[in-house]
Amino acid sequence: MILQIEMNGELRQVELTQVEGGQYRASIDGQPVIDVEAQMLRPGVLSLHIAGHAYRCVLEESAEGSAIYLGGRRLVYRVDDPRSLKSRRSRHGGAEGPKPVTAPMPGRVVRVLVNVGDTVEAHQGIVVIEAMKMQNELKSAKAGKIAQIRVEPGGTVAAGDVLAIVE
Amino acid sequence: MSNSQTSIRKILIANRGEIALRILRACRELGIATVAVYSDADRAALHVLEADEAYRLGPAPATESYLRGDLILDVARKSGAQAIHPGYGFLSENASFAEACERAGIKFIGPPADAMRSLGSKTRARQAADAAGMPRTPGSVRGLASLEEAHAVAEEIGYPVMLKAAAGGGGKGMRAVFSSDDLSAAFPSAASEAERAFGSGEVYLEKLIERPRHIEIQILADEHGNCVSLGERECSVQRRHQKVIEEAPSAVVDEELRRRMGDAAVRLAKSAGYTNAGTVEFLVDEERNFYFLEMNTRLQVEHPVTELVTGLDLVHLQIRIAQGEPLPFKQEDIRLRGHAIECRVYAEDPDNGFFPSPGKITRLLQPGGPGIREDSGIYEGWVVPLDYDPMLSKLIAFAPTREAAIARLLRALDEYVIGGIRSNLGLFGRILSDDDFKAARIDTDYLDRLLAANGPALETGGSVDAAALIAAALFESMRPANGNGRNGASANGAKADANGWKHAARREGLRA
Repeated sequence: MILQIEMNGELRQVELTQVEGGQYRASIDGQPVIDVEAQMLRPGVLSLHIAGHAYRCVLEESAEGSAIYLGGRRLVYRVDDPRSLKSRRSRHGGAEGPKPVTAPMPGRVVRVLVNVGDTVEAHQGIVVIEAMKMQNELKSAKAGKIAQIRVEPGGTVAAGDVLAIVE
Repeated sequence: MSNSQTSIRKILIANRGEIALRILRACRELGIATVAVYSDADRAALHVLEADEAYRLGPAPATESYLRGDLILDVARKSGAQAIHPGYGFLSENASFAEACERAGIKFIGPPADAMRSLGSKTRARQAADAAGMPRTPGSVRGLASLEEAHAVAEEIGYPVMLKAAAGGGGKGMRAVFSSDDLSAAFPSAASEAERAFGSGEVYLEKLIERPRHIEIQILADEHGNCVSLGERECSVQRRHQKVIEEAPSAVVDEELRRRMGDAAVRLAKSAGYTNAGTVEFLVDEERNFYFLEMNTRLQVEHPVTELVTGLDLVHLQIRIAQGEPLPFKQEDIRLRGHAIECRVYAEDPDNGFFPSPGKITRLLQPGGPGIREDSGIYEGWVVPLDYDPMLSKLIAFAPTREAAIARLLRALDEYVIGGIRSNLGLFGRILSDDDFKAARIDTDYLDRLLAANGPALETGGSVDAAALIAAALFESMRPANGNGRNGASANGAKADANGWKHAARREGLRA
């Protein structure tokens, strides 16, 4: 199988072939083939042997995506699907079009600082959320007009919820 | 045991998280039955799982659960608990609750209410410090009645000064003031912040000690007039007045200074009729002069570092003191050995403005091995609630020397994985590898300087090695096939959308 993996901002191609059992052959970006021996200890914990080196690899999955813990580092990655590349760019890049203000963590809405129809500056505070005894002001990514407010003071929100939309 | 002593057979633990579990373990070791209490957010918490009995208090907010002294006393009566251990935070320094326990005939494991009152307010504690003849920072010992009085006190002691809330804690209502012009604005704003946070706008002034170290003395007092000091803890590594790393002993405290600070702390405790465990906090300046800061009338978060270097179990001793036993040792029996360092592991994101990060712990690998102690209340699958403070666990290393303890902590940090939520684990690697920390050149502004110098990012950038890419590919290839997900991360976009959709559908469903 061939996977396009974007890890720490670098797009790499990994070609992986299972020989038998835990024996694999891997090639990265068309480089010479590496012999790999892998043992899954339990879900998310992998023991990897490559050229005499042993690695403990731990997989983390959360709402934000996947990451590998290896040698004290946390490496965020995603498997790249070329077909979704365009739509993803349009979703995340540029200041064009409506922009949501989303909750980076679950919490309770303490205050809504704007009203629908208000004109806001980039980085202006829109909603204040409290979690773990801390209040955090969530800001607009761009200047524009408040098109929607989807929360009320006292309500709870989940990570990733859209709180307001700025046009 | 003499007749004045009562043997406690059942203890209610009026707390949650790692400290509830830590107290529970001590009770087990002493053959004492345990009663846990919990809010709706904590039904699946470890302290509830491990206790002999567990009772629901109420909804998640602390004001409706862990701060409801009346409900907690009801549970104590119903379960037949003879004593309540309050842990830290919540009701631990609430004198009215201690009194209510006393009236109900239930032993509060901590100091008597009047000692708590006279040492709990910072201005009253400063008066007590004067009476006990211990050094404190120059400044007022009463709340400031007016801005005019504030100006007069500030002129007398000289700028820079600190404005502080008498009822304060955690840096609220606190302002560093460098000139009389600034004071006019800072005084009302500190008073109103204190009023909002503590329900009391009382503020006072003290001389600002520049580049101070925060060093505190642990004391233990029994109910027969014996009181000992158990050495110091250095807690200078702080962010926004919250301790991040604590260690014992301090690199700047020698035997002579330790004895003088310890004697002062014991004098203060005795003068207030203090019993049980307590901590006297000091600021220490560059000339190693020490100034009384405040007294914490409870067991502290960082008590394990003292336990490791003294070889004592403070929770065992708290319970024995509460049973009326005399301290089983004298001051001269206390010997410090080795070095201990504690990291407070928080659910917060150092790469993103230290935003809190509650949520589900999807992966957990805990460190172990020689000299490592982890006091934690978490497990893989636990959903860290958003309702309480963000501490997940305390990672503590003990070794013969400070250098060895740092190496041991770094080793344990490499073993430790907390996945699914963000944590500040990465920050510790950075502090422990920093030259100034390694040389113990630390003061209460040290961490802010470190964070400002290098920015918050630590592990971004750098080349990705083949092993990580191959591991990611292997995890993806072993991922169980499910209808939509060809792979994990077309995943990212799609998963988030699906979640959003699910939430929307749920909201619609609720409305219908």
